[in-house]
Amino acid sequence: MPGRFDISSRIVSQKEIAPDTFLLRLYAPEIAENAVPGQFVMVRPGLEEERDPLLRRPFSVHRADPDAQQIEILYRVVGRGTRMIARKQAGSHLQVLGPLGRGFSLPKGKIPILVGGGLGTAPLLFLADVLEEKRAVVVLGAVTRSQLLRLQDFSSTGLEVLVATEDGSLGNRGLVTEVLDRLLGRLEKDARKNVVVFSCGPMPMMRAVAGLCGNYSVECQVSLETAMACGLGLCLGCAVCSDTGAFLHVCRQGPVFPAGQVDWSKI
Amino acid sequence: MSAGKARFFLQAKWTGARSKMSRQQQTFLGNGPEMKVSIGKLELKNPVMLASGTCGYGPELADVLDLTNIGAIVVKGISMEPRAGNPPPRIAETPCGLLNAIGLENVGVEAFISSKLPWLHERNITTIVNILGNSVGEYQALAARLNKCPGIHALEVNISCPNVKEGGVAFGTDPEQAAKVAGAVVQACDLPVIVKLSPNVSDICSIARAVEDAGASAVSLINTILGMAIDIQKKTPVLGNVFGGLSGPAIKPVALRMVWQAARCVDIPVIGVGGITSASDALEFFMAGACAVQVGTATLVDPGAAGRVLQGIVDFMQENHYQSLKELRIGP
Repeated sequence: MPGRFDISSRIVSQKEIAPDTFLLRLYAPEIAENAVPGQFVMVRPGLEEERDPLLRRPFSVHRADPDAQQIEILYRVVGRGTRMIARKQAGSHLQVLGPLGRGFSLPKGKIPILVGGGLGTAPLLFLADVLEEKRAVVVLGAVTRSQLLRLQDFSSTGLEVLVATEDGSLGNRGLVTEVLDRLLGRLEKDARKNVVVFSCGPMPMMRAVAGLCGNYSVECQVSLETAMACGLGLCLGCAVCSDTGAFLHVCRQGPVFPAGQVDWSKI
Repeated sequence: MSAGKARFFLQAKWTGARSKMSRQQQTFLGNGPEMKVSIGKLELKNPVMLASGTCGYGPELADVLDLTNIGAIVVKGISMEPRAGNPPPRIAETPCGLLNAIGLENVGVEAFISSKLPWLHERNITTIVNILGNSVGEYQALAARLNKCPGIHALEVNISCPNVKEGGVAFGTDPEQAAKVAGAVVQACDLPVIVKLSPNVSDICSIARAVEDAGASAVSLINTILGMAIDIQKKTPVLGNVFGGLSGPAIKPVALRMVWQAARCVDIPVIGVGGITSASDALEFFMAGACAVQVGTATLVDPGAAGRVLQGIVDFMQENHYQSLKELRIGP
């Protein structure tokens, strides 16, 4: 797999954009130039000589800016490792390995629908940035308005953005899947062949998205998240069950998979 | 220590020569402190290997680590038939450590020979194949099958995997069984045979001696330590397999102690494995009596770790005027 780099990356900026949710901007020329939407990086929380926490943490590339030679990572503090990263200030460095994995594949001529829940919006903004098909639709969901992330940035891409919040504080009251259901339901049977859904979010949401797309016979790609040690295909730790009963490895075969390849009953 | 200790150093041949080359060249061309090490009839250019299960079959690491500079790669454990491995979750991070229950997922011996080995062979990468069977017969058949394959330099016999129901560690916890497996593999091939030992035993010396007597060229230790983690919110074990093998810096003191013990009860080379993350870790193992080391979990965190460990060993030896690795060993 060509084009992977392990670099000491300077923090350009780090902002807490929602409670415990951070936007990290890194100077990483090699990664910014080579990454495609859906790929990820592995970030070491501590210094080289520190052994605890031991493993790097995987993060989707949230945005890549080859001109500025920078990438963005959107993440939430969920444990010790992410807390350590969140404490780092602009000007300090993080060891970053990437870009890793297989990203979204963009079928020619199909109209994309991007479906993100909560922090699942992380890989989708990069995708929205590079889409040439301007008829694409973005559907974003969260529990409440304050947890809808990067809404303004999605709108700035010029794509149509639909919003759902569970408490009705913004957009449709309910789940993103209900919005997706209505969108797909409105399409003629033939038109569904010309649509592709890209989804990232909590597993129950993606399972529901995959189910809907299956029912409507719409192509669907999902970006999966698992515990991961190396990100390189060395440890085989990031296995998920496939429809054939064999295991898929999220770090190398994914993190983006055709939804039909995944055994959703075992996730 | 047994009386035959000196043989260890005869088998682990060290020669020395110096020239005015760059430090990098000295390391990799064998000048500077003598770094060559012999395991049976196999001579390694240096004593730093990549541990099985943490380096895939090679290509996975190729763009982030120069495998031709490494003493040897020990590829992911191979069985006769492909194995799917254990259900997820397969890994859990613990303080300074990693629990895994991969379950020896591998492509099987035939696919390894046809689709994995040629890549290593074409690049002249010193390749040690880790093998695993459900029975003595399967170990023997694997050794026979791999024996004449070009590009294989040695076998490492895995009698210590804690994550599979049959075989694996069952052979590694009983000296008699361990000797049976080792003897069968030695008989079935002309390659140097390394036996990888389990730490999940009460008397490492009896196992090490048993495989030495059965004709093994070396022992490598330790494999992972059996452990587990529980998710208190879900009230369930974290790993799909319930138990897993603990690796990483957390196990280094245990590995070091067992290498010290093994090095003092067998005459064949002892290869140190377990939590080696830096050159200073590796140097501790040489001081304990190891003739070579394997870098494992550290590669998962930092794919270039083995190269850094190797360079650090050379630097330390030069700064402290050690001419050869054997001088590092403490006492008898």
